[in-house]
Order: sequence, then C-alpha cells, then structure tokens
Amino acid sequence: MQEFITANLPYLLGGISVGGQYALIAVGYTMVYGILRLINFAHGDIFTVAGFFMVYLNATMPVAVSLPLTILLIIALGFSVERVAYKPLRNAPRMSVMISAIGVSYLLQNLMWYVTGGLAKQYPTIPWISSSITIYTATTKMVTLVTPILTIVLVALLVQLINHTKIGMAMRAVSKDFETARLMGIKIDRVISATFIIGSALAGIGSILYFSNYTAVTPTAGAMPGLKAFVAAVFGGIGSIPGAVIGAFIIGISENIIKAVGLTTFSDAFTFALLIVVLIFKPTGLFGEAVNEKV
Amino acid sequence: MKALKWTGGILLIIIAVALLVSSISAQSDLEGLLKRLDAQNVVDLNPKMLADRDRVLESHLDNDRDRTLRNLDRYLERHGDLLLLEGTHALELTAFRSGPIVSSVGVLLMAIGAALLATVISGKAAVRKAALYAVGIVLLYVCVYVVEQIAGTSSMLVTVLKKGAIYALLAVSMNLLNGFTGLFSLGQAGFMLIGAYTYAMFTIPVESRGQVYQYYAGGLIQFQMPVILAIILAGLVAAFFAYLIGLPVLRLKSDYLAIATLGFAEIIRAVFQYDGLGPITNGSNLLRRFTTFNSALFPFIAVGICILLIILLINSTYGRAFKAIRDDEVAAEAMGINLPQHKSMAFVISCFFAGVGGALLAMYQTTVQASAFKASMTYEILLIVVLGGMGSVSGSVIASFLFIAASEWWLRFLDAETVIGTFEVPLLRSGFRMVVFSVIVMLVVLFYQKGIMGDRELSLDMFKRNGKEKRGGRNA
Repeated sequence: MQEFITANLPYLLGGISVGGQYALIAVGYTMVYGILRLINFAHGDIFTVAGFFMVYLNATMPVAVSLPLTILLIIALGFSVERVAYKPLRNAPRMSVMISAIGVSYLLQNLMWYVTGGLAKQYPTIPWISSSITIYTATTKMVTLVTPILTIVLVALLVQLINHTKIGMAMRAVSKDFETARLMGIKIDRVISATFIIGSALAGIGSILYFSNYTAVTPTAGAMPGLKAFVAAVFGGIGSIPGAVIGAFIIGISENIIKAVGLTTFSDAFTFALLIVVLIFKPTGLFGEAVNEKV
Repeated sequence: MKALKWTGGILLIIIAVALLVSSISAQSDLEGLLKRLDAQNVVDLNPKMLADRDRVLESHLDNDRDRTLRNLDRYLERHGDLLLLEGTHALELTAFRSGPIVSSVGVLLMAIGAALLATVISGKAAVRKAALYAVGIVLLYVCVYVVEQIAGTSSMLVTVLKKGAIYALLAVSMNLLNGFTGLFSLGQAGFMLIGAYTYAMFTIPVESRGQVYQYYAGGLIQFQMPVILAIILAGLVAAFFAYLIGLPVLRLKSDYLAIATLGFAEIIRAVFQYDGLGPITNGSNLLRRFTTFNSALFPFIAVGICILLIILLINSTYGRAFKAIRDDEVAAEAMGINLPQHKSMAFVISCFFAGVGGALLAMYQTTVQASAFKASMTYEILLIVVLGGMGSVSGSVIASFLFIAASEWWLRFLDAETVIGTFEVPLLRSGFRMVVFSVIVMLVVLFYQKGIMGDRELSLDMFKRNGKEKRGGRNA
C-alpha cells in the first residue's frame, strides 16, 4: 500500500493541479460558447500570450507589479479580439465566426513566433508559488496545492456573480435566447464583452499557474492545453460552468494516470477519445441541457 | 466556314506532328549531331575534347537534360573553333536546345486542331464547350512545362507551382465536405497523414529500408510498390479510416462535428507516433528515401485528374444531393435523400482525396514525419477554402496558388532585414512575413466573407452572363 501511494501520488497530485488549470481555461470556453455558440479557437492562444506577457514583464519589473499587469493586459487582449474579430460578424453565419476565430488563433501564433523569434523563453520563477513542498512522500511545487484551491474559489465567485448580479442575470438571459434578450433591452455587446473579460482573466490566471510548472514557454505551448480545456468544457456539458470544472478535473487526472501507466504518447489521444465517446453517447455532456433544434 | 475549320484543323495537326517529330528526332540523335559538327573527326586526336564530348553523351544517356545542356555549352565553348557551327548545324543545335518548348507548342497545336475538328464533326454546343476547356487545360499544362524548362526545376516559381497544385487538391477535397456538403470537418491533417504515411511506407526501396527503419531492424514491410498504385492505396486507406470514423462522428452537428474530427486527427497522429507500431510506421522518426517527383508536371497531372473527378461528382446527382443537404438537412431528407448514406459518402470521398493529397505532399517534401501534421495544417487549408470561397472549386484552386505564392515567395522580403542606405527598415525580420500574411487573411475573413469566388465557378459562361444574373448569398 505504502509503495503504491509513493509511486502514484505524484501523478495524482499533478493531475489535480493540471485539472485545475484546464478548468480555468475551460470556463472561458464554456461561457463564450454558452452566449455566442462559438468555439473560441483563439482562447488557447490567449492563454499562451499571457505566458509571454509574464516573461517579458517580469524581466523589467517586480512580480508584485508584473502579475496583475499580465492579467490586465490579457483582459485587454481578450476584449479587443472580441471587438475586432467577432463583433463585425454578429449577424454572419456561425461558421464564419468560427473561421474568424481560427484566423485569430493563426495570427496570434504567428505574432508570438515573430516576437520571440520562434525560441522558447524561460518562464520566470514566481516566489512562493514555485517553491517546493513535500506532501506525504511526494515532493512537488506549491502551485500544485494552490491551483485546485484557487480554481474552486474563483469558480465559486463566478457562479455567485452569474446567479446574483445584474450582469450575471443578463448573461443567463442572453445564453437562453439571444434575440429575445436583445428585445428586452439587454445591451448584448456589453454582456459579450463582460464574458470575454471574465474568460480572459481566468485564462490569464490559469496561464500563470500552468507555466509555473514548466521551465519555458513556446508560441504553440498553449494549443494543446487549450484544446483539452475545450474538451473538458464539452465533457461537462457546454454552457455549464460546474460541468466544465468537473470535466477539467476528470481529464487532468485521467491524463496523468495514462502517463503513470507508461502510455505517454496516448495521453493526448485519450482526451480526444473521451470526447468522442461522450459526444456519441451523451452529446450534451454531463451537465448540459438538451436543446431541441427548431426547423 | 466549315471548310475553313476542316482545313485549319488538319493543317494544325500536320504542323504539330512535324514539330513533334523534328524535336523528338533532334532529341534522340545527339550523337549523330555531334559527329556531323566534327566532320574532320578531330576528336580522336584530342583526348581532352573526347572526354568533354563523352561527358555530354553520358549525361544525355542519363536523361538529365539540365546537365546535358551545361556539358554541351562547355564542349562548344572549349572546342568551338575546331567544329563546324554554321548553317544547318547551327539550326540543328537550336532545335536540340529548344526541343521541349517546340514539342510543347506541338502538343498545343495538336490540341487546338483536334478541338477544331471535333466541333466541325459534331456541331453540338456541349462539344464546342468541352473542346474549348480541353484546349485551355492543355495550354495550362504546356505553360507549366515551358516555365519549368526555362526557369529550372528548383526555381521558386516551379516550387510554388508544385506546392500550390498539391494544396489545390487538399483545398478542393476539403471544400467538397465543408463547402458543398456543409459538414464542417477539421480532420483533414489526420487523413493527409494517413495518405502520406501509406505512400511513404510502401515506396521505400527494399535496400534502403535498413537505414530508414534503423531502430526497427528494417521494418516489417519488405517490398516496394509502383508509385501510382501506392498513391491510390494512400487514398483508399485514408477513405477506409474515414468510413470507420464517420460511422459515429457524422451523427454530430456543426461545431461538435468539427471538434470530434479534430480530435480524431490528433488520435491518428498519436497512433502513428506510437513506438509499438515502429516496425510499420517507424515510430516518431521520419520516413525518407521513398520515390519522389522531379517535374512539376507530375503533381499537375495527378491533381488535375483528381479535381476533374471531384467536379464530375459535384455535377452528378450525388453532388446535387450534397448541396441539398448543405442548404437544408430537413428539407433534403423530406425529398428522399438518405442523409447518413450521403454524408458518409461525401466524407469518405473527401478523405480519399485528402489521402492522395497527403501522398503527393510527402513526395514534394521528400520526407514525412507525423509530428508535422498538426491541427494548424488543417487550419491553413480551411483558410485557403475560405479565401477561395466556400462551395467553389475554382476559387479553392486559385486561392491555394495565391496562398502558397504569397507565403512562400512574394512576402519573403518581409523576413529579410533590409537596410536602404543607412536607414534600417523597421520590423523586417524573420517571422514578419507570416504576421503580415495572417493579417491579410483576417482582413479577408472579416470584410470579404465570400472569398475570391463566392460560390460561383470560373467558367466560360461567366463572361457571357456577367451582370445579368446576380445570385443571393447563401447561409451556411
């Protein structure tokens, strides 16, 4: 028993930690999908850009400044991406918006490649979060412990915001029925901007936690976690925030179990296999609402 | 008029045959020509000259035209004063040098003549149209060939033509699914990977397998397939996997379908990199030394045949059913179209051509590695389809050549640090090209949503009907 725990605890802890980080990204996906019915393909790249903001800002200023500044900048980026690339297509077919999202992702990746020269940039060590601690027999970074706690706190706050504030009510109304909400006098653009601001802020926090675990950031580092977070959002039932969080934890943990078994090549593939199984047997995910499409 | 066409057609064909025969005979009889140039046979007295001449003949026997011409120039330059280079001999030399161009002009004249005769014999409007298209296609191929002969196979222009042709097939195959059937699939890279690997695995010469599969004791496959068969097999294997994947996935709608196919592409990539399959796929190591092509004509002909087949399919009853499904699934079903069957068919056929395209891409790249077939490759092709116009074959073709030319060639200068006088142009350095490029793509996506062609096709009727008929936008 002792041996079993010693061997597997690091993977389990890693899984919980990664799951929390996926959850923070997944919330952004699920909120945007809930309101715009759009898979925001650029979300994973916004997550990566946050990593680079941190790298460059931390080179010139103390952590106490660069950390909040990173999150502010990433909010600004998420906001402007929505204004520039999605707002003009509000009345266009859904596929056009999705293609625009893919275009933004392409642009952000090329931009990051240009700025960094395609090289991996060393991620700064953030005091306290990056320090090591020992839990039972496994030595890990503080971030492993911080992530799940912070994730749950943030998501709880978000759920409160959505259920008990005016803007939250507007968000729920818009995601229920876009057109009717507009007729009821809800300023759609403000609601959508708020969604993108919240999503980007969470992705920024997720990015800081995620990259603290690694030594370097590359322009494509965020593509895979971004996709997996999306899978988590679908798994939990797209549009449902608790669903996205639970889905993210399940995916993070099972991915690390696959690694523990020694099938690292298949850890990404497993995530997608899970997605496909879910889509086939329960297309609306664990907590999603069934929607009947009208003819 | 009819008599004029008859005589014109026959005359053209006669001229064409004469041109072809003369250029082919000039090509084959280089040895005789060199003997005639050297009437006094000084070659036998001059060992250096003999060596130079033998070099010309040797490269000619190897069928390496670039090298032959180089050696011939050197031979004439060094020993020209000893040879008879005037009169008919000079003409014969020119005929040898310009052989490919003369023969391609011959082919073109032949096509025009045949088209003329065809229109006189049948007189139907459809035949006339087909003849015109045929001449146009032959003209295009002749142009490609002439450009290649003049610019050389490794020039930037020819590189762009080769890659552009392959991307044209990939874009058209994706358009068949996304633009014509309305199934938004993002699995293209996965099926290209299957095609590329199938092709590469079966065409590596047996004697090279030991080196390529060095970690897997030469691998399991110990034979080599002919190129054409391997390309078709590449398509068939991709189509087979598409059938299997389509069974569950095609029940999903729009963005769920997109994400599920994207997921499958990732799974395929992981499977091909799996160490346990190493004896077949070479694990995560690259495959190389398989048969490739030199001339741009090969991809052009292969892609041309595939796109022609796709056009025929689109214009058939099946193609009309696909479009009906795209425009309104419920209405299509009510009209008696079997949805699962048609969707599966579109998916399988599109993936067949994606596999063929993958095989051609492997030939173009000369090496294949699974890690290169990422989702970003699918996105690139999707952007080409959008730029060209969803639901337009000719749009996809034009857009792929523009896309490849812009990204590989025209915007190259943006990547080079440039100094004009003492002024260093800002921003220009490695990577800037792709930034400018993606900004252009975004501008098109945002402000020019229909792309270059919308859902129209480039055709002869376009010029006649221009302005008379304005089609409304289609909602996807």
